Amino acid sequence: MGVFENKFQDNIVVASLDKLLGWARSTSPWFFQFGLACCAIEMMATAASRHDLMRIGMIPRSSPRQADVMIVAGTVTMKMSLRVKKLYEQMANPKYVIAMGSCATSGGPYWQHGYHVLKGVDLVVPVDVYVPGCPPRPEALIEGLLKLQEKIQSERPLTRKTA
Amino acid sequence: MTDNQEQLIKEAIEKALQGDMDAVNNIEDRVTRSKAKAGLVKAKREAAKTSAKPSAEEKSEESGSESKPAPQSPNQQFAGIIASQFPKTVDEELSSETHIQLQSEEWLDIAQYLRDDPACLFDSLQCVTGVDLGEDVGLEVRYNLHSMTHRHVIEIRIACGGKNPKIPSVEAVWRIGDWFERETYDMFGIEFQGHRDLRRILLPDDWEGWPLRKDYEVQETYHGIMVPKVKEGWE
Amino acid sequence: MVLNIGPQHPSTHGVLRLKVVTDGEIVSDITPVIGYLHRCFEKHCENSTYEQVIPFTDRCDYIASMNNNFGYVVAMEELMEIKVPERVEYIRVIMAELNRIASHLLALGTYGLDVGAFTPFLYMFRDRERILDIFELTCGARLLYNYMWVGGVSHDLPVGFVETVYNFLDYFEPKVQEYNDILTYNKIFIERTADVGVLLPEVAISFGVSGPNLRGSGVKWDIRKDEPYSIYERFDFDVPVGQGLVGTMGDCWDRFYVRVLEMIESTKVLRQALKDIPTTGDVHQTLPKKIRPPKGSIYRRTESPRGDLGYYIISDGSPQPYRLKMRSPAFTALSVLNEISRGWMLSDVIAVLGSLDIVLGEIDR
Repeated sequence: MGVFENKFQDNIVVASLDKLLGWARSTSPWFFQFGLACCAIEMMATAASRHDLMRIGMIPRSSPRQADVMIVAGTVTMKMSLRVKKLYEQMANPKYVIAMGSCATSGGPYWQHGYHVLKGVDLVVPVDVYVPGCPPRPEALIEGLLKLQEKIQSERPLTRKTA
Repeated sequence: MTDNQEQLIKEAIEKALQGDMDAVNNIEDRVTRSKAKAGLVKAKREAAKTSAKPSAEEKSEESGSESKPAPQSPNQQFAGIIASQFPKTVDEELSSETHIQLQSEEWLDIAQYLRDDPACLFDSLQCVTGVDLGEDVGLEVRYNLHSMTHRHVIEIRIACGGKNPKIPSVEAVWRIGDWFERETYDMFGIEFQGHRDLRRILLPDDWEGWPLRKDYEVQETYHGIMVPKVKEGWE
Repeated sequence: MVLNIGPQHPSTHGVLRLKVVTDGEIVSDITPVIGYLHRCFEKHCENSTYEQVIPFTDRCDYIASMNNNFGYVVAMEELMEIKVPERVEYIRVIMAELNRIASHLLALGTYGLDVGAFTPFLYMFRDRERILDIFELTCGARLLYNYMWVGGVSHDLPVGFVETVYNFLDYFEPKVQEYNDILTYNKIFIERTADVGVLLPEVAISFGVSGPNLRGSGVKWDIRKDEPYSIYERFDFDVPVGQGLVGTMGDCWDRFYVRVLEMIESTKVLRQALKDIPTTGDVHQTLPKKIRPPKGSIYRRTESPRGDLGYYIISDGSPQPYRLKMRSPAFTALSVLNEISRGWMLSDVIAVLGSLDIVLGEIDR
């Protein structure tokens, strides 16, 4: 894939190929289970039997090299933020990040006097989708994942990017 | 207020003093109900005043009294026992029915005694709390002890000053003292003398400051990441 | 060899880091490193009013938030000498026991996952979802409720609540037998957990361990029976202790089995509470207009699914606490990990850690 990226001009063949690639890449993103706090329980509940995550193609992987999406579920603290950055750098491209819950989005209920709380995980890693809630319902997390799938589908990896 | 209402309020207060709050809570009229509640508070205060003096004398005479859920006598009883074994360590003025105030020098020996003596047998250290009582008084450490065999509960408070607070460590007596004292050191900066491995437990090792002190100021950045709530440089 | 497990690891029950010194496969020393979830709970409590503290207590032990709230309001009501109506007491006990069942289901399900069994995890989560449905019916939230307030509860029980819970209990009690068949008496599970990580009673008491971990070692200590609070004296239930049925007393299997038996005891309490709950009464009756406790301090313990949850509250007469310390049972449970897992193999360490049932939110606060 890397050889063909951004090499072609926009034409009908490349557009259909792009669509095919987008569909293939988006429909089975494997997620890196990065459950930190209360949102991790909701992430586990989403992966359990009632709201099944496997039916949209996601399975939990424990190693960063095997995962496409990192779901940061829970509060990131200063002590943990260095490790989040390290693990993000260890993931293989293409990689995406979902910030689940209000703590990962902006510090959550701990924004005011939390000296040890990172006010949003986007201070250390680039985030693609934010899922608000404290904790977000499993349905909300699934909507966030579907939005991520739409985002992946709308990428055009083969087309040459003009300035 | 009509006679009927007065009568109703009196009956409700009497029932409530015996423990049945529903009589007061079920009064329909809001004004009457609030008057009944105010009258109840007054009645309780007066009852406490009149029963305080004679019952305090009774309680201090009975030693080894039956255990109660709100331990008044255990703290005073053990203050007496500690004072007899380790004279000049119990601060009589500041100790009361709710706690025992001790000096910090012989704390390790006192702790050993409290754990091993057959009448005490305090084998469980429940909670270690550090408190910052302000600039004049300084820091204080409070220990809640509990005995599994005798089922009594006491609270011990030890003041350790404002600048360079130090207290002997009791981790040799109760094994959980290890982690509890590390946590108190982490949050307040109180040094526990004799602790094997006193270092931060919750915050990173290179954190600056003692967070739960009243004069704590948050550091600006940690390894290049913004710490306080104001975000600058939003993209 | 020094090996590092965590902070990101599927089976560390949160962000826990273990520095393990091994000699081949046998472990010789473990140092737990915590603090990766330190969210400054106590600092927040000093700067919020007493009512605003309740959502923060929810988030400490996020699996059993009703019990966290319960501990806090029991301590506050003792400090302020408030007596709540009967209906509120019954509602609180019902919610606390339902949450105890939900918490144990999660603990047992994830323990099965740690040891290698995936099916019990799905079964237990399926049943846990039914309890979360009941909570959602009452107060609108699935995980963090902010339900018990000082002097009352936030929402009254909805219409049809009692029938819903009876249906759940009728559905749930035979399921415990199913869990016993799949997991508890499973040969592989017994091989992995019996005789592993034995915790002696004296060591447990010195380390301040409480709850199912202490009861698994044979010590019969339950705050609901020994220092009763709320209306627990009225209920007839047993306190299960470990007896070493398939191994030594105090091993991982015993701690697991105590939790299974506790779920059954909770259903007994629930049935009695549902039978006797008064049908009328205003749950907002004794809510104080302004919470300004008298000057003083109090330390009160209650029984959370993990053990003795204690709150030490110092009040200086203002609407904000001067100091609030939460003594969490999982903190003491984790400190004993080094003692009981020395000499075992690396995978046994995971089994021992799972049997202690820790929640990092509570440890780090």
